[in-house]
Amino acid sequence: MKKKLEFKNFSIYFDQYLFISIALLSVLGLFFLYSASQGDSNTVIKQSIFVGFGLLLMFILSQPDPDFYKIFSSLFLFIAIVLMFATMIFGREINGAKRWLDFGFFTLQTSEIIKIALPIFLASYLYNKPLPISLKHTFITLTLICFIFYLVYSQPDLGTGLVVFMAGVYILFLAGLSWKFIFTSFGLIILSMPFLWSNFLEPFQRQRILTFINPSNDPYGSSWNITQSKIAIGSGGMNGKGYLDGSQANLNFLPEAETDFIFAVIAEEFGFIGICILLSFFFFILLRCIYLAFNARDRFCRLTIGGLSLVFASTLFINIGMVVGIMPVVGMPMPFISKGGSSLLSFYMAFGIIISMATHKKLMQK
Amino acid sequence: MIDIDERYVEKKSFFNRLLVVYIFFGIAFSFFLHKTYSLQISEYTNYESASIKNKTKEVLVQPVRGVIYDRNGNIIVKNVPTYDLILKPSKVISIENFLNNISEIIDFNESEFDYIKENFAAKASLNRELVIKKDLSMEEIAKFEVRSFRFPSAFIDVRYSRINNYPHLFSHAVGYVSGVNNEEIEEILRNQDLAQIETIFKYSNGFQMGKTGLENTYDDSLRGKFGKKVYQVDARGRLLKEEEYIKPINGEDLFTSLDIGAQKIAYNQMNNRRGAVVAIEIDTGAIVSYVSTPSFSTNAISNGISSKEFNSLIKDINKPFFDRASQGRYSPASTIKPAIGLFGIEKNIIDWNFSMKDPGFFVLPEDQRVYRGWREGGHGNVNLNKAIIVSSNTFFFSLAYKSDINELINHLSNFGFGKNVCIDCFNPDNGLLPTPEWKMNNLNFGWFKGDTVNLGVGQGYLSATPLQLAYYSMILANYGISQNLSFVHENKEKKKHKINIENINDQDWNKLHASMIGVIDSPIGTAKRLQKLKKFKVAAKSGTVELVSTDTKEDYKIIRENEGNRDHAIIIAFGPMPNPKYAVSVVIENGESGGSVAGPVAIAVLNDLLEK
Repeated sequence: MKKKLEFKNFSIYFDQYLFISIALLSVLGLFFLYSASQGDSNTVIKQSIFVGFGLLLMFILSQPDPDFYKIFSSLFLFIAIVLMFATMIFGREINGAKRWLDFGFFTLQTSEIIKIALPIFLASYLYNKPLPISLKHTFITLTLICFIFYLVYSQPDLGTGLVVFMAGVYILFLAGLSWKFIFTSFGLIILSMPFLWSNFLEPFQRQRILTFINPSNDPYGSSWNITQSKIAIGSGGMNGKGYLDGSQANLNFLPEAETDFIFAVIAEEFGFIGICILLSFFFFILLRCIYLAFNARDRFCRLTIGGLSLVFASTLFINIGMVVGIMPVVGMPMPFISKGGSSLLSFYMAFGIIISMATHKKLMQK
Repeated sequence: MIDIDERYVEKKSFFNRLLVVYIFFGIAFSFFLHKTYSLQISEYTNYESASIKNKTKEVLVQPVRGVIYDRNGNIIVKNVPTYDLILKPSKVISIENFLNNISEIIDFNESEFDYIKENFAAKASLNRELVIKKDLSMEEIAKFEVRSFRFPSAFIDVRYSRINNYPHLFSHAVGYVSGVNNEEIEEILRNQDLAQIETIFKYSNGFQMGKTGLENTYDDSLRGKFGKKVYQVDARGRLLKEEEYIKPINGEDLFTSLDIGAQKIAYNQMNNRRGAVVAIEIDTGAIVSYVSTPSFSTNAISNGISSKEFNSLIKDINKPFFDRASQGRYSPASTIKPAIGLFGIEKNIIDWNFSMKDPGFFVLPEDQRVYRGWREGGHGNVNLNKAIIVSSNTFFFSLAYKSDINELINHLSNFGFGKNVCIDCFNPDNGLLPTPEWKMNNLNFGWFKGDTVNLGVGQGYLSATPLQLAYYSMILANYGISQNLSFVHENKEKKKHKINIENINDQDWNKLHASMIGVIDSPIGTAKRLQKLKKFKVAAKSGTVELVSTDTKEDYKIIRENEGNRDHAIIIAFGPMPNPKYAVSVVIENGESGGSVAGPVAIAVLNDLLEK
């Protein structure tokens, strides 16, 4: 239950279900990361600093009243967009992608910030619009979503771009996008697929999708990742090979074991049982979010909780779908588990805001 | 602001829509979980073996070849370990630079450079190692080791070389080993149920197999069985740790019947003349001496030779690679006469008392064609005994004339003519025992009576290898008991049997032996010059192979100006009489006289064998 602890003159806003399950998941993540990084304690220490800081950040962000986020949501989005542009100019280029801003002590993946800022802004923009959302507001919202998607996509980062796009669309949908509009645009999207295919996708992305559709046609070896990932998962069996004994990860057969493919490491070492336990944490968090959304104090809070929880669900969805070989490889970390400070912090921020939305009650409800 | 009704509608709509999205995710995650289940549970065994295959790598370990001994337990071929400088060609960017740098500390000669450059590309493409300098001295090892950081693509390790202690003596008998092509190595590995080609080599030259001689015919047992090391590897293919080691089974040693002493005598006696010597232990059919000259060094071939050196061997007009002992075809010439005489006795065409006048020539009644003997004026009255001693052509022309060709061919076939007589010889030639069918099919001519007459003195189409002549000699010595020849004493394929000639008893054999002893011991014998050379009583029959037919001695003097036209010298011999232990055949190309040129070689070999 949402708690409002009376503490002399001020209150602490805290949801122990979310807090404990996220903290547990983060600790499990450190434990898995130690194995995925082949016992590299530096990686784990760095990650645990992020976890500690993230949990603190989550706690801090759950203290302000939702109205704070409502009021400052446009400022947040503005700052996020500025950071995106800054990345475009000053960003550090790694493997041909400019996604990171180097702050010396910390390299920030700016798209992770906008992934949170956009849904909050859209919730504050749409919460007072009458149902169904008018064509004008729909249009304004979609333009913003597409603009931000394009910023992320052009880094290039298709994976995060899709999550950002989906995050925006969730809010629009939850806020009451008209069904007529939904069906019409679906039809248009399907019709425009060939155009998108040839104009918006990079050759390597097209190749990944083709490989995904037909794995035997793989001239560039892009299914290597998936093949090794499947071997890692499959060879884990029911009980797994045991902690630190996963040969696929330890002998470097599994690419990106610390980040995108950490799910395969867990599957290899802890088997199907381990995976079921891990997923049950995620399901618990998601179910808790539904409950909180249903009991939120107003439309803004509902939309924000719903939207952010779906960003979380989508990230998990893309990550697992990719690792088990059902979806193309787009590069997506597993929330709270994969190595990477930006992604980790963005989800602590998201859940901090979710807790804030869920625990603050208006004293006088109509 | 929106009112309460609207607020209620909005809330309901929100719940429905959130549920729709959550249900979508619920279905998706169930699907993913199902996929994980099918990977981990349904297809577990496939993926488990794929994972094991990923992380393990099998590397073969080469066995060491068996040692080859002579009949007295002396080593003929051994494996000599040396410290070699070994290069991994696939890790070298520029071979020129590498050679420039390495030659600052280790000396290379021109042919070593040639060898490296010639073999570099092929080894690099197969990712195999290349031994660039063999048998480093302690000083060279020290010089390299202190600078080894400059040469990450090279290292020093112990490698064997296949060394023949007598590289020229046994070049044809024992043969050589050399590298294998891809099909050969695949077959070798398939026979041992192995698939992997990557190998830890024990030999400087990597994979090798016997290419000629005993190294080839006993290759399977000499080679041994590959061992296996199973390593754990990472994704880059680096070997991490050894998980299993199945030791290679080294090749079996080969104990041959060859005699190094007799081989040396034979080789030295041949003195680089073109020809061959084969000596056989009569009781066992075991080959004790097997020489073909001129020869070459098997060590050079077995352990790496530059193509320049190799080409000069190939182009040598004396054909050192040609194994004259089992592949050289020579007419038996007069050495065939004892077999023809036996045929006359067996078929009752003649008996030991039959005699005729030898005017020095034979006239074929059908076409009046004249067949000459070697001596003008002939040998007077000759019986079989004298005909063998003086090698009367007229006597055997006349005897052959009276013979049925098919019966005669059948008779000669008993003595090994026209067929393989050796179990473990490398690629032996069968020679040619001509038949009327053969002549019709190959020369498009019918068989003339004259062909039969020529056969009577071992000329014409009949040809045999020195090995077959030694076999023939063994049967003559052993009262018609034959057994296949071999280079080892024990061989299950060996079986003694009496050749299929009736009507010949031991007395006939003794008389024949007496005639053949007379070839040397009689003052009129064709090989009487051997009397003072021999230390034992020896039976023999010499022969002189006419390469160009001439009517007079003057004519022959003209044609002998060209060495290649000179007669081949040939002899078969066995001793000591009356209980012969060894049979020998010698052929010396263009040696002219069987008795006085080939004879001393045969006697020297017999002397050496019998003195032991």
